[in-house]
Amino acid sequence: MTGGRISVSKSEYDLLKRIIESGIREDYLDAAARKLGISKSTLASLLMLLADKGLVEVEEETREYNYLTDKGRDALRNGLPERRLVETVLRTGGEADIGEIRRVLGGESGIAIGQARKKGYITIESGRVRLVRDPRVVLEELGKLEEVLKAVDRGEDVSVPKELVERGLVRSKREIKRKFKLVHDPKTILDKVVVEYAKLTSSLVSTGEWRRIRLRRYDITAEPPRIYPARKHFLVEFIEMLRDIMKELGFIEVRGPLVEIELFNFDVLFQAQDHPAREIHDTLWIKEPRKADLSAYSDLVERVARIHERGWGYKWNPDIAARLLLRSQTTSVSARILVERPKPPIRFFTLGRVYRSDVVDATHLPEFHQLDGIMGWKGYTFRDLIGLLQEVAKRLGLNLKLKPGYFPFTEPSVEGYVQLPNGRWLELFGAGLFRPEVLEAAGVDYPVGAWGFGVERLAAAVLGISDIRELYTKDVKKIMEFKVRSV
Amino acid sequence: MPVLRFKTERLVRLTGLTIGELQEALFRLKCETELIEDEFEVEINPDRPDMYLGEGIGRAVLGLQGARLGWRKPRTTTTEYSLRVEPPAKRPYIAAAVIYNVNVDEDFLPELIQFQEKLHDTIGRRRKKVAIGFHDLEKLPSTSLKYTSVKTSEEMKPLEHGEKMTIGEILRTTPQGEKYGTLSLDSRDNSHPALYSGDEIIAIPPVINSDITRMEPGTRDLFVDVTGTDLQTVLKVLDIIASNLAERPGVYIGMVKVVNADDNSILHTPVLKFEKLTLKSDYVNSTLGLSLRPPDIKNALERMLYNVEMSGADLHVEVPPFRADVLGGIDLVEDIAMAIGYEELGFNRPVVTDPGKLMAETRVSRLLRDLAIGLGFTEVAQLTLTSPGLLDLTGYRERVEIANPVQLEYSVLRPSLVPTLLTVAQRNVHASKPVKVFEIGSIVIPGEPPRDEYRIGFLVMDDEVGYEDIQAVIYSILRILDIKFSVREYRHPAFIEGRTAEIIDAKGRHLGIAGEISPEVLEKMEIGYPIAVAELNLEVLAEWKFKTQNPT
Repeated sequence: MTGGRISVSKSEYDLLKRIIESGIREDYLDAAARKLGISKSTLASLLMLLADKGLVEVEEETREYNYLTDKGRDALRNGLPERRLVETVLRTGGEADIGEIRRVLGGESGIAIGQARKKGYITIESGRVRLVRDPRVVLEELGKLEEVLKAVDRGEDVSVPKELVERGLVRSKREIKRKFKLVHDPKTILDKVVVEYAKLTSSLVSTGEWRRIRLRRYDITAEPPRIYPARKHFLVEFIEMLRDIMKELGFIEVRGPLVEIELFNFDVLFQAQDHPAREIHDTLWIKEPRKADLSAYSDLVERVARIHERGWGYKWNPDIAARLLLRSQTTSVSARILVERPKPPIRFFTLGRVYRSDVVDATHLPEFHQLDGIMGWKGYTFRDLIGLLQEVAKRLGLNLKLKPGYFPFTEPSVEGYVQLPNGRWLELFGAGLFRPEVLEAAGVDYPVGAWGFGVERLAAAVLGISDIRELYTKDVKKIMEFKVRSV
Repeated sequence: MPVLRFKTERLVRLTGLTIGELQEALFRLKCETELIEDEFEVEINPDRPDMYLGEGIGRAVLGLQGARLGWRKPRTTTTEYSLRVEPPAKRPYIAAAVIYNVNVDEDFLPELIQFQEKLHDTIGRRRKKVAIGFHDLEKLPSTSLKYTSVKTSEEMKPLEHGEKMTIGEILRTTPQGEKYGTLSLDSRDNSHPALYSGDEIIAIPPVINSDITRMEPGTRDLFVDVTGTDLQTVLKVLDIIASNLAERPGVYIGMVKVVNADDNSILHTPVLKFEKLTLKSDYVNSTLGLSLRPPDIKNALERMLYNVEMSGADLHVEVPPFRADVLGGIDLVEDIAMAIGYEELGFNRPVVTDPGKLMAETRVSRLLRDLAIGLGFTEVAQLTLTSPGLLDLTGYRERVEIANPVQLEYSVLRPSLVPTLLTVAQRNVHASKPVKVFEIGSIVIPGEPPRDEYRIGFLVMDDEVGYEDIQAVIYSILRILDIKFSVREYRHPAFIEGRTAEIIDAKGRHLGIAGEISPEVLEKMEIGYPIAVAELNLEVLAEWKFKTQNPT
């Protein structure tokens, strides 16, 4: 229906239509712009587009034309200066004092006197100006020059005496005038075109107008504008995936306080009070209050004291256990769960923030997330624990290598290393069976396996981030653009 | 974790293994290794100080390989050396040993000093609990020694110093004095522990030895003193040193008679004490999930250098004196597992019967996250530690401060998500508008004790943005969650009065806030755009959505 016809834009179409309606077949651009009531620049650019499509022809004409200078317009308005001199002299009987002339003509008196003398109209003797030619001839001569000025002002093509040009009253200029004409018969021209739209609009569809238009073809390979979706944060998504893995393995999620009592962060976990991890370089304490009230835990405190003094051979100090710190390990949550003596079988996990006394750099943050899990029942064994670690690694899509390890609160202890997509081995888990001292302190009478790991290092490795600080970027665009990586 | 360096050639000679085999064996003994030029860098866990010396590593590796089984007490002899102890109050315990034929050479000297330093740093708690002095036996002025308190005006010639100095000067002016000078100084009477040989002070533990007994390449025999605040640890450290040096060819141990002047009790050191434990096969098997026979267990333990006697299903185990980490049967079980190899233990795949469960807070946060994304908000994640300057700027006066911060920027805990969300806006001032972000995270509220709380925060920054823009978000979410709420006027220095609301739940509890950030705050933070924020207590939402309907 629109095949074979020439595509024009809506504005090109509207212009063609108006040109035809106003009866123009050809015209100068400026004249046509006036007639059509649109700006000359709009008309010119639309006509150039139509010319490209072979619907109009645009030609240029070069023309010389004269125009009045400011001085020329003054002469036209007031008469040539020499005319005003002649008329002044005539009013005083053909002769006048030069001073009178200067008074009447002012600034133009010099030019007037010069021209009148040059043309032989007057003589000047002893300060008296006398007309020496027939005034009728003079006025007629001047009248002819003034007629020329008038004609130039009207834009007529007249021959201009050299004198007017030399005196700077008239100048000439070359002008390029653009002219256009319709190539086709105005009656059929609109049938030869079809309007092309950039966008299909609601009104085009609902009016049926879409049948008479053409939709512009896109360069479908051109880059579109860049847009970004609102996104979930990549670290949070990773954390939620870990939670899902734990849930699928039958674990119940729990939480514990960020500001923790040392009792749960260290003492229940059989970490001696002079253990290096409890020194100022490793752990962050809070300013106010410095200590918690342990009276609610008196039985626990009593057991912990006994076990530490027996196991480590020192005087256990409840004041140290009462100090409040920012938990340094989520195992503190496991410790809290354990002292509740849950009925076996148990499977609990917690995922939350822990704090360390570290200076921020590409591999360290003062706080990060840890995932900690505990599981146990009568007859639970080290092989059950390894089985769980294997399963978690498998669900993360990673190979696991086991290495004996050391943690104050587990025995046997194991470290799990996983192989990253880049081949590098990353220490992932710390794990082990809780030491008998820990179970005794908590009052649990079945074996419990415990394991934990830092989330950020794994997340960074899996997500292909080399600087761990990037996990906490404040650049929203980076989050929106973040490329999806699958585990 | 302690990191030590050894000459690769020495470890290869001590074990007879290739470098690859050595690395594999050390991995099975909990050590990570890295080859750096002609040296072996080994990370050794703090539970195995006996491996801080090449001889200790060699012994452990040969045992694991099955080339050595159990450990026999080295040859000892009585000596003329006696040590009288007048216990200094701050550092009452001392033990000493003579080690013959150590033959310190250029290669061994740095390793021996490394051994001493790592013992100091770990089991010695940076010399506070235990400190060690090595002396050239030949240079000791007398076989009669005395450990006592002396005035800091007494003089000695410290190691590496040409001149005699007073103890006070040593504590003040030497690097060792600056580091360890206050550990055992008794400020009540300005006295310090000192070890005399005859009339000469040969050490002021835990700070420095005297130059006159300096150990150097060519030193054949050693006199070793160990002082500390806990007798059992002092004896243990001396046992580790003596039993490790005894692995060198030709070495034998000379006993030192230690007499306590207070009660005239006598101790002959090193004690080289073997702890005795009885281990049941059942315990081993039920812990590991294996079914080992007693002879298998015996062999595994002997490869970890324990002396073992079988008695039916029971094993009588002697723990060699160099082991500091064996508190009970469970520690033997781990060594058995290590001897077998963790990869050889096999595992039981978990059998899941009961379904797992996520916390109500987690579940509601997932709901909220999806709604926030749907409303065009991008999620950000930030630290809970922030700078006091930011909280001052935004008018959050109540906050929990860190007593020992490392960096000022991370020295307080955020009491709200609002200040840190504003830093996100600040960072994105030049991004295309609108900037719409949300965060789900913890905040900490001061109290006795302080309490953390999960919250969700929203922020919109645009050319024009107002209360209604953020109010609409909150109303939309709360209505979708079907949580009843009301609002009332709210005032806070960070917000514009009359354009900020407190959101209250149906029980009249604070649920959150929504409002416009004050231009004063915006100006101070150099954010040239209006901002509206909201913050909701995620725990109250969780309670409404999950806990009341579905109590755990």
